[in-house]
Amino acid sequence: MLGKLHPSSVWALAAALALIIWPLFFPQASLYFQVLGMACLYGTLALAWNLYALSGAISLGHAAFFGLGAYGSALLSHYFHWSPLVTIGLGALASVVFGFLWCLVFRRLRGVYLGLASLAAVEIPKVIIDNWDSLTYGSMGLMGLEGLPSLALGKWEVALGSNLEAQYYLLLALVMAAALATRQIMASRWGWALRALRENETAARAIGIRTHRVQAKALLGSSYVTGICGGLYVHILGLVEPALVFSLHVSALPLIFSLFGGRTIFFGPVLGALILYPLEQLVFQPLFPMGHAGIYGVIIILTILFFPQGISVWKRAK
Amino acid sequence: MSVSTWPWAQIIATGFSLGSFYALVALGFSLIFGITRAFNLAHGELIVLAGYLAFALWKFYQVPFLLTLPVSLLALALVALPLYLLLRRLKEPYALNTLVVTFGLALLLQNLMLVMFSADYRLIRPDFPVFAIPGANFFISASQIILVVLSLLATGVVHVVLHYSFLGKALRATIQDAEAAQIAGINVNRMALIGFAMGGMLIGLAGPLYGENMYLYPTAGTGATLIAIILTIFAGVGRIRTLLLGGWLLGLVESGTVLVIGSKWRELVAAAVLLTLLVFRPKGIAARNQE
Repeated sequence: MLGKLHPSSVWALAAALALIIWPLFFPQASLYFQVLGMACLYGTLALAWNLYALSGAISLGHAAFFGLGAYGSALLSHYFHWSPLVTIGLGALASVVFGFLWCLVFRRLRGVYLGLASLAAVEIPKVIIDNWDSLTYGSMGLMGLEGLPSLALGKWEVALGSNLEAQYYLLLALVMAAALATRQIMASRWGWALRALRENETAARAIGIRTHRVQAKALLGSSYVTGICGGLYVHILGLVEPALVFSLHVSALPLIFSLFGGRTIFFGPVLGALILYPLEQLVFQPLFPMGHAGIYGVIIILTILFFPQGISVWKRAK
Repeated sequence: MSVSTWPWAQIIATGFSLGSFYALVALGFSLIFGITRAFNLAHGELIVLAGYLAFALWKFYQVPFLLTLPVSLLALALVALPLYLLLRRLKEPYALNTLVVTFGLALLLQNLMLVMFSADYRLIRPDFPVFAIPGANFFISASQIILVVLSLLATGVVHVVLHYSFLGKALRATIQDAEAAQIAGINVNRMALIGFAMGGMLIGLAGPLYGENMYLYPTAGTGATLIAIILTIFAGVGRIRTLLLGGWLLGLVESGTVLVIGSKWRELVAAAVLLTLLVFRPKGIAARNQE
């Protein structure tokens, strides 16, 4: 599959190399490690969102998966004191369970109606976690979560929790793995089936695509990766509360990054995240300390108006 | 809310006043959606914005509460105009694009309100009397009466305009089938403009009432948007009496839930009702068009 490279893939490869190499020249730039690391996390989130969106389903409720993964991991780590590397993987299974219910209940919904349903679906885990004080500590959330652990290989040791550079490389590796996986998926039969489903569901079914199964697989994969992002996010931050992980903001970001970057190219969502998140954090946060996230609203409106295909394919758009 | 000796009477009174207000909240959304097929996810945020406008007038300029209503009515009708121009420029798939754009608008408005009014909870509190029914521990406040009267009045006016005027006939024709209406010589773009103006005025009326009865905070709008979507799907577009009925039902269910289980679960009611409606009547809105 990697044999023949499309020009856009060459650019992606060059950008990936630049992202790997630049810390060697600026080893003290901790703010940039933090911001770009988070951009990589959101890039992974956007890729996960886009996997489901390949089938034509616009979800406005991925915060549900994000929050369930976050709480799943946080509670396992809080009650059983397991290493976050284990709890993040296990906690994200809560998101998969929710994704499974989602597939069952929303089986017949399409387009706008699916979007509305997903918007409402976030409320259910949010309100339950908000009110189940004895298990989840309610709306106060959990403070002082265990950070990411240190990994030792012989005498070589990296502290993922405290060393921002190591954290950055972890998140960069995550997003690159996710992007490569997306590339393989989009070239596979399954990836083409998803896109066929987006273009015309009846025609897709007529040529023998099991539409429900194909879409359910995409959602389950998407929910697991989103849950992992949620778990990573709260362990990096060290705290979790319902308003933080189930917010409209979390649902909106992957959608905005994917639409801005371009949904039709495998690295589009990552491109969106790598451009917009640092822009918001490094440029708009100092200018508007309080409402800086509002810039995302402006960006999504402008994107739909002027780059409906996303910026990565703007030259090809008619 | 204190549990009185007449809990069921209290539930019904609260549910009725809340439900009438819900119908008003949904009416603007329903009109805009019906006439232009645009989903306005920023509906609730606009209501909260109007509420903040009334709050600022009442708190900082000592404007009497009832006078803030016409001001906010006009202001929001003016706000609806750029929204109309923005949504008119969107291309196919139109419904999905309006959904995404207004989702972005909701995010923008939430952050703007956070900057302007901070995240504190605000409530408009004019000095209205509370009436006690003699012999029973049962209260009705003047603000509740104002809420019901104004909500029903606005709903009634829209109903009369839609059903007993030539403009209303043209609007209803556009709601039923925009293409056929155009063939019949109705200027559909003008109808869309009128729809947005009416929707804006209804939002402007709902905002101050919201601020007087529920707490205002920057992210409060999502709940109102959900209610508007629920009632529109329940009733179908352009059916105002069904909308009112749906509002009362939802209000009763909510106030009953608050009394029986607790106020913390109120948010779940609206979401659960919406999901149930979507699952069992997924094409609730579309089905109306084909009749």
